[in-house]
Amino acid sequence: MPDQARRSVLAPRRGTGRSLLLTVPMAVFTLLLFTPSLRQPGAAAKLAALLAWTFMIALFFLMMRTGQTYRWRRIFFVALGFLFPIGFVWDLIALRSSMSIPMERMISGDTPFCFMVIPMTLIPAALTKTIIFPGSILPTPSNPHSIAMMVALWLLATVILGKAWCSYGCFFGGLDEGFSSIAKKARLPKINPKWRMAPWAILVAIVLLSAATFEPVYCMWLCPFKTVTEFPQVRSFETALQFGIFITLFLGLVVVLPFLTKRRTQCAFFCPFGAFQSIFSRTSIFDVRIDKEKCGAGCLLCRNSCPTLAIDQDAIRAGKPLSTCMRCGACVDVCRKDAAVWHIKGTPVGVKPEQARLLYLYAAWVFATMFGGSIIANSLHKLIGLIV
Amino acid sequence: MKRLTAFLAYTVAVLTIAVAVVGPLVWFGVFSRAAAKTSLRIDSTYTGGEPARVISRQGYEIVVYKPVRKHTPLATTGSFVQMVWKPASALPPAISEPVDLDGDGQPDCVVSFQAPRDPKAKLRVTVKPLTALVQPMNEVGKESFSSLIARVNDTIVVRVPLR
Repeated sequence: MPDQARRSVLAPRRGTGRSLLLTVPMAVFTLLLFTPSLRQPGAAAKLAALLAWTFMIALFFLMMRTGQTYRWRRIFFVALGFLFPIGFVWDLIALRSSMSIPMERMISGDTPFCFMVIPMTLIPAALTKTIIFPGSILPTPSNPHSIAMMVALWLLATVILGKAWCSYGCFFGGLDEGFSSIAKKARLPKINPKWRMAPWAILVAIVLLSAATFEPVYCMWLCPFKTVTEFPQVRSFETALQFGIFITLFLGLVVVLPFLTKRRTQCAFFCPFGAFQSIFSRTSIFDVRIDKEKCGAGCLLCRNSCPTLAIDQDAIRAGKPLSTCMRCGACVDVCRKDAAVWHIKGTPVGVKPEQARLLYLYAAWVFATMFGGSIIANSLHKLIGLIV
Repeated sequence: MKRLTAFLAYTVAVLTIAVAVVGPLVWFGVFSRAAAKTSLRIDSTYTGGEPARVISRQGYEIVVYKPVRKHTPLATTGSFVQMVWKPASALPPAISEPVDLDGDGQPDCVVSFQAPRDPKAKLRVTVKPLTALVQPMNEVGKESFSSLIARVNDTIVVRVPLR
């Protein structure tokens, strides 16, 4: 978000009492979902769960108090992005003393399933009823991250969030967003909008190649996040080449380019799952609209603030961002004319936008706390265990 | 009409919140049970396919699986047959035995490997073909999904590439 265009995010929109009142239902809903985490044995686990829950509720309170969404959501999302690898890798090291996946784990179905694989599995599953992934359909003691669990989670998130999965659910996107937030000014401010088509091209390519080879091509060759999770054991030139590609893509797309451009470059210009999820941007009842009468299309603050170039002048004229909009809230928070607003489909644009925002945040934040919050709690548990 | 649409929209919005709260408590179990009832399975490249026959030996057995064929012309994993020796803890220190892969009563290859007690010890397998069915393997470890020896829990898995 450009410094000169940013409103004072600390200027209260509503009083403390009202903000607390609005936070109470969120606290109650999320406490219900967090109860299993709070009941875990051990003081460290309980403390970690309590810290994570408090963190999420505090951020929600600040969203209510300031009327701003983007800044507080970003704090959660970046925390999720950086803490997830800590907990995940910790568990891997505890289980097998290594981040690499040995062949034994793959042929015994012990590879955790990742949502990124979903698009690649569809055609082979439709043709042969087989899943081209070395995991397990149902959870097992050695692999709780089963295919059924991750697909169920993705379906739930798609109904609730649609494309907002990329702002509230994806445990990789926070890395991108974190590095894009470091520099005060973009060193590469101009990006050719044609790069927005790249994720679609990659999606089509990997879906077709995966169907042609019956192998999850993206996981084997292109996923930058293998660098911070797990990767096939390097035992040949081929696996060494794969690892080299993972590291190069991670450093380039997740670290360097977001730092230079202040955009979520991996998410906007590479991630095929993001493109896939754009197909489902219509499933959520919530979206962002631009009230053309209020806008005037003059300042372009919304376009300049969008981390994924989902707003351009055509989108402003059309009154809504592109289907790649991640519902992060940057454009709404930066708009000085209250033209960019939260919206519930089927209702008039610009009428009671704060109501739309509240309903959206109740749904999105409950999901974020259930999923992302529990991941944060798991990682905090590991870190607290180091100290205590 | 506009009022009705707006009413329905707000109703769906509120229901979305209900789904977000109640969904995790109910949905995962429901979906898992539904997934278990489908005929979906993990691809045979990873599972090794289905068991075909069991060869009994003294103190252990060899499970021979059905051949897994190369799935598509562009697939990088070739055809193979999986054999599983179990339990690994009951195996003699060295194995060298003929195995009938296609159930015609004639051995198709001789499989040889050391079976150390240490589960972390590296394994190497040598396969000498006796028929045109299989390809030879010489001191192979974990080369690929179609050519490997690996210890999985208390079993030793060998995959032999087919011609």
